[in-house]
Amino acid sequence: MAEPIRAEHSAADNDFEAIVRRHQAMVYSIALRFLAEPAAAEELAQDVFLQLHANLKQLQSDEHLKFWLRKVTAHRCIDFQRRRRLPLLSLDDAPELAAPGQMEDVLLSDRLRELVASLPEKARMVVILRYQEEMGPEEIARALAMPVATVKSHLQRSLAVLREKITRVLGEVSL
Amino acid sequence: MSRLDDELKRALRRAEAPPGFADHVLARVVRENRTRQAAISGWRQFFTRPILRLATAAALSTALVAGGAYYRHAQMEKAQRAEGEAAKQQLMLALRIASTKLHLARSKVNDVSDGNQNRHEKE
Repeated sequence: MAEPIRAEHSAADNDFEAIVRRHQAMVYSIALRFLAEPAAAEELAQDVFLQLHANLKQLQSDEHLKFWLRKVTAHRCIDFQRRRRLPLLSLDDAPELAAPGQMEDVLLSDRLRELVASLPEKARMVVILRYQEEMGPEEIARALAMPVATVKSHLQRSLAVLREKITRVLGEVSL
Repeated sequence: MSRLDDELKRALRRAEAPPGFADHVLARVVRENRTRQAAISGWRQFFTRPILRLATAAALSTALVAGGAYYRHAQMEKAQRAEGEAAKQQLMLALRIASTKLHLARSKVNDVSDGNQNRHEKE
């Protein structure tokens, strides 16, 4: 008969549990904003923590751990997206927003999330790491293994497209 | 910082993980550990059962005996092939010597018969 899970916990598992609880929102949110599917995001986030459990000894500090989690989550998200073979959009092909009469802040956030989720995968991850995790271009470049100039270019182009699409809907409101 | 930056930060702020997320992760870790341990102990158990230990020992002994017999047979075949090759070489040498001797004898016979013919012609 299977023993209760709690009975099998060691001190190391307790440390791991604390790590999971401390970083679960970060990992889950990156996956959720990128995939825009809660179930897929939860499964991917669990996979990231399982990988962490196998590699925990290699991580020396909390900063290192945080960077590792962001990097692994970002790469897993991009791989997941590629495996699903969803059609990729260019920035210019991002969908137009249906114009509501008066855009509430909540609705604006929803619309922005939809627009971000429709960005090409690398640009999308750059925007998520920049605005959700408040990472600098250099840190994003290290996490995604791309040149800093490419990160800045993704950011500039993405912001220009997002501003254009949102302004078109909001009309007089300037972003 | 523009309003778009602020709106993006608001839109992309962290979401709470679903309820029970950490417990689900820990449960998966335990399940994976059990699966790994089961695979390892499965092999260990295989070699700790007496009947399987005997069977493994018998199989290893049979393999050793069969391997030894095959090796001996192969060595004998190799030795026989070497002996055959040596005998063939000796025979070829003997034939070459015999051929040389025959050639010499025929030359001498020819010389003698030529000498007799010349003597008869002079007489």
